[in-house]
Amino acid sequence: MSFSELKDRHVAATAMVNTLRDRLNQKRQQLLDTDVAGYAKSQGRTAVNFSSTDLVCCRTLQGHTGKVYSLDWTPEKNRIVSASQDGRLIIWNALTSQKTHAIKLPCAWVMTCSFAPNGYSVACGGLDSECSIFNLNSQVDRDGNLPVSRVLTGHKGYVSSCEFVRDQDTRLITGSGDQTCVLWDVTTGQRISVFGGEFPSGHTSDVLSISINSSNSNMFVSGSCDATARLWDTRIASRAIRTYHGHHGDVNTVKFFPDGQRFGTGSDDGTCRLFDMRTGHQLQVYSQQQANNDQDVPIVTSIAFSISGRLLFAGYSNGDCYVWDTLLAEVRIIQLVH
Amino acid sequence: MTTNGEGAEMEARGPPSLHLSTRNGNFLGKHRLSAAISRLNQEIQYLQEELNELETMEPSSAACKEILLSTEGKPDAFLPVTPGPENAAWHRWFQRVRSPHSRKWWTHKGSSDIL
Repeated sequence: MSFSELKDRHVAATAMVNTLRDRLNQKRQQLLDTDVAGYAKSQGRTAVNFSSTDLVCCRTLQGHTGKVYSLDWTPEKNRIVSASQDGRLIIWNALTSQKTHAIKLPCAWVMTCSFAPNGYSVACGGLDSECSIFNLNSQVDRDGNLPVSRVLTGHKGYVSSCEFVRDQDTRLITGSGDQTCVLWDVTTGQRISVFGGEFPSGHTSDVLSISINSSNSNMFVSGSCDATARLWDTRIASRAIRTYHGHHGDVNTVKFFPDGQRFGTGSDDGTCRLFDMRTGHQLQVYSQQQANNDQDVPIVTSIAFSISGRLLFAGYSNGDCYVWDTLLAEVRIIQLVH
Repeated sequence: MTTNGEGAEMEARGPPSLHLSTRNGNFLGKHRLSAAISRLNQEIQYLQEELNELETMEPSSAACKEILLSTEGKPDAFLPVTPGPENAAWHRWFQRVRSPHSRKWWTHKGSSDIL
């Protein structure tokens, strides 16, 4: 086939993809008969009675000397690992606020950390494109530093996000600036599966965040600079199960909803969204009303759900933390922190 | 606009790596283009599968109903009113705990109760 014939085919295929995408969007719109807030109101629900006097700061963990980029709890919710660009991981007893470990990192530009389910190790990753594992019980070296017990190498870009698989201490999932996610065997340091990359259904830009389904650890979602979130089954690396469209900017953060059937996202477009995992429907948009459209809308950097899912905590680039009523899509608290 | 004749001329020559011409018929360009077309065809297939799926998919209200049920059924320490039973583990955050390295006692800030 000649080059020009190939070019024609490429143009035709691109046009077909665009046509199909438009048709898909239209069909999805038709299926959105209500959003969560509309449905909740139709069922007589009103916004939860929750204001700043209901939120009590019961611990302040002080010790980092640089921005804290990431933190993770143990499953028992009594210890925390935090990662800061002061070049350290700190392990905290959350009840007493005591620091049990302060780990000096080989690379200060850390972006993510995770606690292993058994509480004995922590993982972190960042601009070095590697994921380092530390065993908290190992002996410190001559300089008093905890040695790295395993390094997971293979990513061709920064490690933006990592999470241990909840019921398996030996498996970890990472998201990377190289557009892929990887499932690792921590004991051997080997990559078990690569999600995306050369496969067509992978992300087409940096992966910024991942979240493993707490109800089914075979499933995880990833959020990317390509403005989509994608659902993966760890047993099927060849294609994403589903791609979730809606955001108009980088998806900086993804987090599964407590019921394991939905997940939330936060984006550069200033909104959080709730997606239905199984159908792909965009169920709700959480958007700040901007009186002056010329103003830059603060971007969403981080989200978390309360244990029932009723509250959505969202951190924004201007330092605000909003608490949203997930069901009614109303802000309950605008709390400036730090 | 190239013709079939030109393409045939290219294939008749020696190993492709020696013929990185800047003309439209260069080998690397065709290879990349073929790969791009394969990816697009794969995407077309996925999109058509998804369209088929949507034919029988339930509307968003079904998921909204599930969310309401699941959220309201779970106890949540943050909420002023929440379904029981109370989780005793929540209380540890509001009990006095001596921080070993200081004289501080952590207690429920703003509470007038001294535990």
